[in-house]
This record gives sequence, structure tokens and C-alpha cells, in this order.
Amino acid sequence: MNIKEYISSGIVESYVLGLLTAQERFEFEKYCDAYPQLKEARTAFELALEKQAMENPIAPPAHLKQKIAAKIFDENKTTPVIPIQTARQRKFNWASFVAAASIILLVGSIWWIMNLKNENDKLKDNNAALQNSLKTSQDSIAQIIAEANHIQKEGMKMVGLNGTANSPKSFATVYWDTTSHDVYLLVNNLPKPASDEQYQLWALLKTNNQLQTIDLGMLQLSQKPLQVYKMTNAQAAQAFAITLEKKDGNPDPNLQKIYVMSDL
Amino acid sequence: MLNEQSNDAFNYLYDNYSGAIYTIINQVVSDKDTANDVMQEVFVNIWRKINTYDATKGRLFTWMLNIARNAAIDKVRSKGYRDNQRNQPIAEGEDKGMVMSSNPAVSDVGLKKVLTTLNEEYRKLIDLSYFQGFTHEEIAKMMGIPLGTVKTRIRTAISQLRKMI
Repeated sequence: MNIKEYISSGIVESYVLGLLTAQERFEFEKYCDAYPQLKEARTAFELALEKQAMENPIAPPAHLKQKIAAKIFDENKTTPVIPIQTARQRKFNWASFVAAASIILLVGSIWWIMNLKNENDKLKDNNAALQNSLKTSQDSIAQIIAEANHIQKEGMKMVGLNGTANSPKSFATVYWDTTSHDVYLLVNNLPKPASDEQYQLWALLKTNNQLQTIDLGMLQLSQKPLQVYKMTNAQAAQAFAITLEKKDGNPDPNLQKIYVMSDL
Repeated sequence: MLNEQSNDAFNYLYDNYSGAIYTIINQVVSDKDTANDVMQEVFVNIWRKINTYDATKGRLFTWMLNIARNAAIDKVRSKGYRDNQRNQPIAEGEDKGMVMSSNPAVSDVGLKKVLTTLNEEYRKLIDLSYFQGFTHEEIAKMMGIPLGTVKTRIRTAISQLRKMI
């Protein structure tokens, strides 16, 4: 094909002015891709036409712009704005990118915050558990200190009760306040009694070769080891003993069943 | 943010091209009210279809100009417009069988002005095809000349026009 002849045939102007049939238009566009000078001729005529059209334009009425803008932007409330770019010149859409990135960030932040919250809740629970445990320990220590203070005060007499033949390994301690006559018992080691039996503490007094026994009360069934329990007051005592009796005790001790006893 | 961008884009398009677009519309339609209606349609259409504009096929102005011309021609051919025109008093000297482009409101600017430099036959051909949107076949029938001749003469007319621009 003679491209010079083609260019000067008026096809360029016809194309630009929109006067070609679909077939002719298709051909022209194909040749434009193949012949740069055809494309140049097209652009040259377009520029000339544009320049000429811009020379003495008729100004549209002033109110028209507002009216058109209102129409366009009211419509845009329901239909999305189409950005000014062609399919082939599509640019990277920063707005979409930023929007997408923001959403990812937001979701990420929410996930992070949820994690932090869970962690925080766990720590709070742990802390509460520790506080409880600490309080229990402190109460125990306070009680131990109170007991220690009590049994170490002036006038307190400590009496060790050694195991008898019935239970050689047993041992108990009686603290006797010689001023107030209060009696406290600390069981170091006694065998667990049968369910229908119970230990009983006695004060022993020897007057005129006559052994007198005074009931100082029952040891509690649920008695914890190494804990001081207050017993019945003893006005006078020379020795102490624990016997194994029937449940709720006896008025007089079964002397065959003495488990621990202090020296007279 | 997006709205502001759109506003800027619209302002740019309108401020730069509304005059030229309004001119071509007025060269096709004959009364201001219709021209204003078409103008609105054209800009809304340009705005809507802007993403179909393909820069490899021509300049933005060319694309817009053709949208405007086609919209104006469609309006002139619409039933409502023709009915309305029939009720208008017939203008003097307008009954010469072949009507020149629908008694446009404007005939002394733009391409129309250039047209006046062509001889009568070429001017008529350009007017029928460009300003009235008739196909070459339709023109051949109207003027009673072969299709090939219509094509050649229009090309020649356009080539002469080219020298004037």
C-alpha cells in the first residue's frame, strides 16, 4: 500500500470527523498501528481541528455548568465515580490501595487488641489467684505468730508428753499459763483413733499418795497436726496425760490406755 | 477526597472544552433551549463514558467532539424535535427541496465558517454527512448519484477543507 496516497486521500480527516464506516474505521486504526506517519497525520489534523474549534467558541449560558455539575454529582451518589483514565492507561489506583491497606491495618489492630485483652484477662485472673493464695499464707503466718507469741510469753510452762509403751513414738506438748491457768495442747504425733474412740487430756495431781485426775477436755476429731488448741483451765497440775477413751470421753481416765504422759 | 478530585476533573473538562462543544451542538440544532438540553446530555455522557475513551485512537477533544455531534444529530432526528419544529413558522428561503443543515443557530464559526469557502456541491455533501449525520448510502439516494461518487467527492471536499483549517 502507498501510505502517502492513503494519507492524502482524505481518509485521515474523515476518520477524525467520524465520517467513516465501521469497516473503514477498523482498517484505518490497523494502519495507524503499522505506519507511524499515518498516526502523525491524524494527530496533526486533530490538533488543527481542535485549535480551530477553540478560536471563537460560543460560550454556553453561565447557569448550565452548575446544572450539569449537579446532575453528574447527584448521580454519582448512586453510581460510582469513574476515574479519568483509559483501559490501556490504567494507573495504579492509590485510593483503592490505601483503602485496602487501611482495612487490613484495622483488622490487624482489632486482632492485636483482642489478643492483648485476652492476655490482660488471664493476667488479672492469675493475679487474683495469687492474691488469694497470699492472703491464706498471711493468715496462716499471722496465726502461727499469734500462737508463738502466746506460748512464749512470760509464765508459760512448756511440758513435754512422751510416748508410753502403748505408743512409744507418740509425743505431745502442753503449754500451761501459770498465771491465768490456761492450758494449750500441741499434738506432735498420735496415732489416728478409731471412729468410736477419742483422745482425752488429763491433769494429774498427787496428794497424800492419792492420784487425782482432772479432765481437761477432748481432743477434736478433726485436729490438725502441729496446731495449738486451747483446752480446759487447770488450777493445779503436776503432770499431764492423754488417754484413749470412748467417743466424747469418760469422767475418769482408763489408765491402761495412756498414750503420752509427762513426768510427775 | 475522591469527590474533590472528581470536581477538579469536571471543572477542567468543562472550563476547557464547553465552548467548543457548545459550538458544535449549535451548528447542528437550531434553537438555544434544545442546544442547552443537548449540552447537558453530552457532558453527562462524557462523564459517564470517560473510561471508554481510548487515547491510542485519538485525542480527548476529538472523542468529545464526536459525542457532541452525534448527540446533537440524534436530537434533531428524534420525533419530539421534529414535531416541535413542524409547529414553527417556516423560515424564508428554506423550501429549496434540499434543506441545509436544519437551520442551525450558528453558521459563522468553526467548521461551518470554513465550509463557506467550499463550492456549493462540496458544502452540501459535508453538511449532509457531518452536520446532519447521513450515511454515504443515504446521501447517494437523496442526491441520485452513485455511492462511489459520493465517497470520492466527500473525500475531495474534506481534503479541500483540510487546507482551510
